Amino acid sequence: MRLAPVDYLILSLYFVFVLTIGWIVKRKVSTSADFLTSGRSVPVWITSLAFIAANLGAQEVIGMCASGAKYGIMTAHFYWIGAVPAMLFVGVFMMPFYYGSRARSVPEYLKLRFDEKTRALNAITFAVMTVFSSGISMYALGLLFELVLHWSFTASVLLSAAIVLIYTSLGGLTSAIYNEVLQFFLIVLGFAPLAIFVVMKTGGWSGMASRLPAVMTHTWTYTARASENPMGVEVFGLVAGLGFVLSFGYWCTDFLVVQRAMAADSMSAARRTPLIAAFPKMLMPFIVIVPGVAALALSHMALGYSIPLKADGGPDYDQTLTTLMAQFYPSGMLGLGLTALMASFMSGMAGNVTAFNTVWTYDLYQGHIRKHAPDSHYLWVGRVTTVVGVALSVGTAYLASHFNNIMDFLQLVFGFVNAPLFATFLLGMFWKRATGHGAFAGLLAGTAAAAATHGLTVAEHKGGWLGATLHTFPSTMAQNFWIAIFAWSTCLVVTLVVSLMSQPKAESELHNLVYGLTEIPHEDVPWYKRPAPLALIVVAALVVLNIWFW
Amino acid sequence: MSDLRVSIGGFFVLVGLIVGVTGLTANYRAPLDFANVNLYCGISMLIFGTIMLWLAWRKAR
Repeated sequence: MRLAPVDYLILSLYFVFVLTIGWIVKRKVSTSADFLTSGRSVPVWITSLAFIAANLGAQEVIGMCASGAKYGIMTAHFYWIGAVPAMLFVGVFMMPFYYGSRARSVPEYLKLRFDEKTRALNAITFAVMTVFSSGISMYALGLLFELVLHWSFTASVLLSAAIVLIYTSLGGLTSAIYNEVLQFFLIVLGFAPLAIFVVMKTGGWSGMASRLPAVMTHTWTYTARASENPMGVEVFGLVAGLGFVLSFGYWCTDFLVVQRAMAADSMSAARRTPLIAAFPKMLMPFIVIVPGVAALALSHMALGYSIPLKADGGPDYDQTLTTLMAQFYPSGMLGLGLTALMASFMSGMAGNVTAFNTVWTYDLYQGHIRKHAPDSHYLWVGRVTTVVGVALSVGTAYLASHFNNIMDFLQLVFGFVNAPLFATFLLGMFWKRATGHGAFAGLLAGTAAAAATHGLTVAEHKGGWLGATLHTFPSTMAQNFWIAIFAWSTCLVVTLVVSLMSQPKAESELHNLVYGLTEIPHEDVPWYKRPAPLALIVVAALVVLNIWFW
Repeated sequence: MSDLRVSIGGFFVLVGLIVGVTGLTANYRAPLDFANVNLYCGISMLIFGTIMLWLAWRKAR
């Protein structure tokens, strides 16, 4: 891929705007709350777009296009059942407790609702995980730019990290959120034309479908049995594992996304944030997945395009997106496409860094290291933590480039830790009898159950390290879904049992934390600003999409 | 927040102009394109940016 001066011009212009936004926002930051939680002052359209942009990292964009080419339009399940229902749930049912509790972070909610040890467990695993995931995505980006543009790995990693560092340390969360909105539009306007061009080239939707096996253009038709579809998953594992446990575990408890909603300027806006975000989220598959599906159809036409190959001869789906850009975008749009890729990377990284920052400063530093310092001290800690977070991410990126196996191992372990989380929050928010001991024991047991499931089952030669193999899954994806199901169920049962055996908190301590003891303010707003009608509209649109692509 | 709309609008107006003018003046082609990609995408971004600026202007008035 060769770039012209105009491409570099667009990329530089983007950097200038990103830094300018950081600079403008800086004026508003005077307390640690301004820096770490945006002082709960951001308008709802901004928090909504930031809500999905923070999750729309480069790995997501590249990976979804790759999965489109590998699994077809079935990949849209990661959005339609794997995200949207959970986004509705967090907005309608959970946000009153997150926002109403005045907690500044998700771990802090756990402290208010349960106890210190549950918070510490969640805060520490979350802090480590965010740093690692931002490092891994940095590594992926550096590798891609090295491969496609022959830029040096070090140069692209350090340049992008430096820019994220500057704008997040200037304006904190507000700066990250504002930039995420710019990045969201850039991703849409940079990739949507590509989707349109590739599908048009294959002869429109029907032309594309006619060049592919039917399984690639249907979402549900081939899910009755795992052997019928390329993902190797069956409908129960898909709905319960992905649609319920994994998706609710991420969208309803991950501070990275919840933080965006908690920055909103009112309870009503906080509840609407994920609901409004659900509309663009639902349509993202057409921008990020469809190009991959169409790329496969394109490779069956005699146009000289084929899915790129790895050194060992297997298909390298991760390069699908960039090879499509090279085929369809001339210099100019090519620069914009690469800028969009860079933007997706930066929005993901800034999301991780700002979430890490808040959890470190409020939950770990203020909670355990220095409890009663003046606010200016925590603001200073927040700024320093931004630098440390970025530096750790860069370190992780280099670690990943040398020790790929360690990274795979860590991601596996994080998966075990995350899988049971939603059971803890569900019981915590909707059952006032749930106790801190119960939550803590449930989380540990759930994580252990996840590890045990992985150790006792095999899929694509992965797992089975506990010696005995009780079951063989058709794909690692199916294995992951079932690990999640077992972890969640174990956590639920253990939390229930241990809670019943331990002393609950007095009801007076649980106001605004648990269902039944929380007054949900009735706001006098028109119907289209109320959570329930908004959620119903989303559900209706979701049903239409699923039937359309059944 | 009208500030942000100005930044986003300003960015896309500028990029739209750059990409659009590139489409008019330079003869860049991609292997599989079938139209003047830069011109049409540039115009679209210009329109989007203008709408953002208009929204910000309407709010500020």
